[in-house]
Amino acid sequence: MLLEINDLDITYGDNTPTVENVKLSLNEGEILTIVGESGSGKTTVIRSILGLLSGDGHVSKGTLSFKGRDLKTLSLKEWRELRGKDISMIFQDSGNMLNPVQTIGHQFREYIQLHSDMSDSEADAKAVEILKRMHLPNAENILSSYAFELSGGMRQRVGIAMAITFHPQLLLADEPTSALDVTTQAQIVKELMQVVKESGTAMIMVTHNLGVASYMSDKLMVMAGGRVLEYGNARDILTNPQSNYTKTLLASVPTIGGKRYV
Amino acid sequence: MSEQNNTNDCLMSIEHITKEFKLSDGNILRACNDICIDISKGKTTAIVGESGCGKSTLVKTIMGIHEPTSGRVMFHGKDITKLSNKEKRQNYRHIQMVFQDPATAFNPKMKVKDLICEPLRSFGIISKGEVEERAKELLRQVDLPEEFVNRYPHSMSGGQRQRVAIARALALEPEVIVCDEATSALDVSVQDSIIKLLVKLQQEKGITYIFICHDLALVSLFSHKVVVMQKGTVMEQLDGDKLAESTHPYTRDLLNAVFSVH
Ligand SMILES: Nc1ncnc2c1ncn2[C@@H]1O[C@H](COP(=O)(O)OP(=O)(O)OP(=O)(O)O)[C@@H](O)[C@H]1O
Ligand SMILES: Nc1ncnc2c1ncn2[C@@H]1O[C@H](COP(=O)(O)OP(=O)(O)OP(=O)(O)O)[C@@H](O)[C@H]1O
Ligand SMILES: [Mg+2]
Ligand SMILES: [Mg+2]
Repeated sequence: MLLEINDLDITYGDNTPTVENVKLSLNEGEILTIVGESGSGKTTVIRSILGLLSGDGHVSKGTLSFKGRDLKTLSLKEWRELRGKDISMIFQDSGNMLNPVQTIGHQFREYIQLHSDMSDSEADAKAVEILKRMHLPNAENILSSYAFELSGGMRQRVGIAMAITFHPQLLLADEPTSALDVTTQAQIVKELMQVVKESGTAMIMVTHNLGVASYMSDKLMVMAGGRVLEYGNARDILTNPQSNYTKTLLASVPTIGGKRYV
Repeated sequence: MSEQNNTNDCLMSIEHITKEFKLSDGNILRACNDICIDISKGKTTAIVGESGCGKSTLVKTIMGIHEPTSGRVMFHGKDITKLSNKEKRQNYRHIQMVFQDPATAFNPKMKVKDLICEPLRSFGIISKGEVEERAKELLRQVDLPEEFVNRYPHSMSGGQRQRVAIARALALEPEVIVCDEATSALDVSVQDSIIKLLVKLQQEKGITYIFICHDLALVSLFSHKVVVMQKGTVMEQLDGDKLAESTHPYTRDLLNAVFSVH
């Protein structure tokens, strides 16, 4: 098993836990999607795997193991080696993680050289190659741009490009396509699945798009109010949901030809 | 709303807007190309199209954030792209915007209650003592707990921040609200209640929405008019409920790229 999480509780400050009793496991090449209520703890769960909870968030109970290693006992140095290479993350609002005063090219090169000994020109060539996979027109131009000169969806694709550079063993993707129009989204979803296929990457994705979840996932987790309501085979849950929340969620998906609001 | 079907119901007219950016390599990028759209009063005009096609640039030009290269936007007899800073500030009384990345639009040092009520305070509509109550009321409207008044935006989830941005835009009850991907971080069930809220306010107060959105199904259920853009140009404009029947090849491509749940 690549990743195994048991009885996980996560707490911000010293309040009652925000997320309780999460259990999941993932093999290489598997895609797990987490869907659910806004504020239910999806981002919290996947950030905990990378040891990057925001503010004073911490794991207050349970175990997380990656390739048999207990993630709770890693030193800062061990985390640094793991992050960005073996495990990488596409952050929710990943576009906003970009530094506003440095060019995209500068940041991309820095990221690549942090994890490899590529020369400047090798790193730039690598960056261009991956940006092209993200269907960004004129990748060379993107490298010389600043974040504010790109559209929301272009910034998001830069974030995805960085995260897949080193074919991580585990890719954590928090709303990776939320800023993309449907045609670009379809292309990116297919690229992500290609990465999984090529490199045996396992992926945990958070999305509000149940169509994308249905298309991509092997496993599905449904969360509401800090708890896991359903977890298992994606097709089973989508065709035969057990919890009322999942039923409501599925019924709320807007469909063309559905009931109009106005 | 009053019966006024004899006269023109156009509230804002976007006339031949062209916006060019100078790129770092000296080339010129035409992000918006001769765009003409009539925005009807009390109705929802949706803008769809692929990532980077100029949607955000267009609405930022309406908001006076970018100066157009040519063209004008007429609103109450005035070209609002040529306002002085003082007039621009006054104009925000009538037009509010929900930005694509709420995280970047917020001052991180401000509490939620102050963020939400800032527009009300800056126009002297409520006193300092009224902030807390008013903020609670607005939070309730967007399905967030009242206790969030004293939170900071960085200790909230993505969808919670997005709802704070919506609450802030609603606070002034402006004539026009521009929403740039304002529901993309919400689960479909919360999205459903937010859209119902927007529609209710539209019916009660005659609010006009300009709504950029990647979810074509949502657009088809909620908008009165859809504008389809590609590469800076308007490809077609059609009634919201006719979107699925479009025969335009580009619109068909968009429709065909949607992932369905089953
Ligand atoms: N740094 C923090 N301090 C305190 N509470 C936090 C912090 N970050 C998140 N929370 C709270 O924890 C809960 C879970 O947040 P999380 O970001 O995991 O939700 P989510 O499921 O990703 O939601 P969304 O779909 O809206 O992004 C929310 O109620 C949020 O307000
Ligand atoms: N300040 C700027 N300077 C230079 N180029 C810019 C600037 N703002 C936007 N652009 C460019 O203009 C084009 C249109 O960008 P815009 O943000 O309007 O797209 P969009 O339709 O909103 O896309 P998305 O759906 O991805 O948000 C893009 O090619 C972008 O790189
Ligand atoms: Mg989240
Ligand atoms: Mg945009």
